[in-house]
Amino acid sequence: MTSLLGSMISTLGMALRYRPLIGVSSQVSKANALFNPELTTVRFRYHADKVAKGPVPRRHGYEEKLFQSGLLPRKVSVDKALPMPTYKPKNSWNEKRALFGQNDYIDILGPSNEISQKTLHPTQLLYHVPPWLRGVQGNEYQVLLRRRKFVQKKGYALGHPTKWATLNTRIKKLYTYLNHKTKSPFWKHS
Amino acid sequence: MVCYLLTKPTNPLNKKQNKKIFWLLVEEQLPTTIRPPLPIIHSRKLAFPPKFKAPRQVWVSNMDTVEEEKLGLIDLHPEVFAERPRVDIIHENVRWQQLYRHVSYANTKMRYEVRGGGKKPRQQKGSGRSRHGSIRSPIWRGGGIVHGPRSPTPYFYMLGFNTRLNGLRSTLSAKLAQDDLHIVDSLDIPTDDPSYLEKLVEERGWGPAVLFVDDNDIMPLNITAASDSYGHYNLMPVYGLNVYSMLKHHTLVLTLAAVERLEERLLFHLNRNDAASAGQKYRLDSV
Repeated sequence: MTSLLGSMISTLGMALRYRPLIGVSSQVSKANALFNPELTTVRFRYHADKVAKGPVPRRHGYEEKLFQSGLLPRKVSVDKALPMPTYKPKNSWNEKRALFGQNDYIDILGPSNEISQKTLHPTQLLYHVPPWLRGVQGNEYQVLLRRRKFVQKKGYALGHPTKWATLNTRIKKLYTYLNHKTKSPFWKHS
Repeated sequence: MVCYLLTKPTNPLNKKQNKKIFWLLVEEQLPTTIRPPLPIIHSRKLAFPPKFKAPRQVWVSNMDTVEEEKLGLIDLHPEVFAERPRVDIIHENVRWQQLYRHVSYANTKMRYEVRGGGKKPRQQKGSGRSRHGSIRSPIWRGGGIVHGPRSPTPYFYMLGFNTRLNGLRSTLSAKLAQDDLHIVDSLDIPTDDPSYLEKLVEERGWGPAVLFVDDNDIMPLNITAASDSYGHYNLMPVYGLNVYSMLKHHTLVLTLAAVERLEERLLFHLNRNDAASAGQKYRLDSV
């Protein structure tokens, strides 16, 4: 028995394991500490207690270079703090915010035409969106193509020549990039 | 304004005093509503009678007086007002309402759009410095942005028809279940004084923000004038009802006409024969 214990203690020579056994008198106690199924370790330190004592410091060793306290920046000649805009809380109940989302369900809740059985659609009520962009879902290339289609009818090339040129250049560049530099989408591969 | 005539004058000789009392009575009293014996509203016939769920019963109140007077009890269709609230569907609806109308106009210039940068800054070899082709390349300060925002970027998408329909049902059910739904006979109030409306809402314990919903989009004059000075009391027709507004306002007040119209519309969509064609995916330029 003792030889077994002795061999255990000698073979398991790791400092970490042996350290708590320094000062323990007998070999039996040491052996018990090493291997005893009836012994269990009990947690007595909790991170929550540390947090409860106060804020747990982070970035140990880091020195904050920004001012955390003290006077606000001010001019030396005239001892007056630099002006900061006065805080004005937003009005959550102005007309726009109070009635946000109104008529979004008009195709469900609105009356339908008696003959055609059609209702209004919420895309028809997007007054603040440019008319060519209402109900449009797409990437930049698709959006630009649609814009060009709508805009060329109204003589855009004559009225805004630089913007017309930029639009066409952008479309050309995107065409080259998308078709020669990127892979086609997964659903296009056979 | 109702005038009350004095049947017995207090002092038959003092006409001036009688006149004074007469006008005092006229000015100080609000008209008392004369009602037939309660309950006035007895029952409601439900369209598409529910087979497996019991209808929910709600009190019908008045708007004539500050104190609540219950005029009767009506049934509400469980398919509309007693659907198990799906929080994920409500969230999807709110997200859709916030995003589908959003267009980002943020823009950054590409290297070929930034002013300048056509000329090679220095010779390729000999100077000892790094080689460059343009002063507006993305690695330069003041140069173009490679994958930056490109104006205009639409965030439009259309939520499925049934998802939106169920969003409405879930929100209405949640409102009823949480005692935030009230039914009134009509939105006629006796005065256009804003304080009357405030006292009414405070007395009945309706939330800070109230959304009044009626069938017609032209509301009675008094309530329009009274609620005009408050941003948190809002009037809406039935076709304007939406999930976001119902969640933003604490209390939802529906008139009887609004309840009828709302149920009719939602039950129509739930029981229509051509639901598949009606709930098809939205296609651009189809509407």
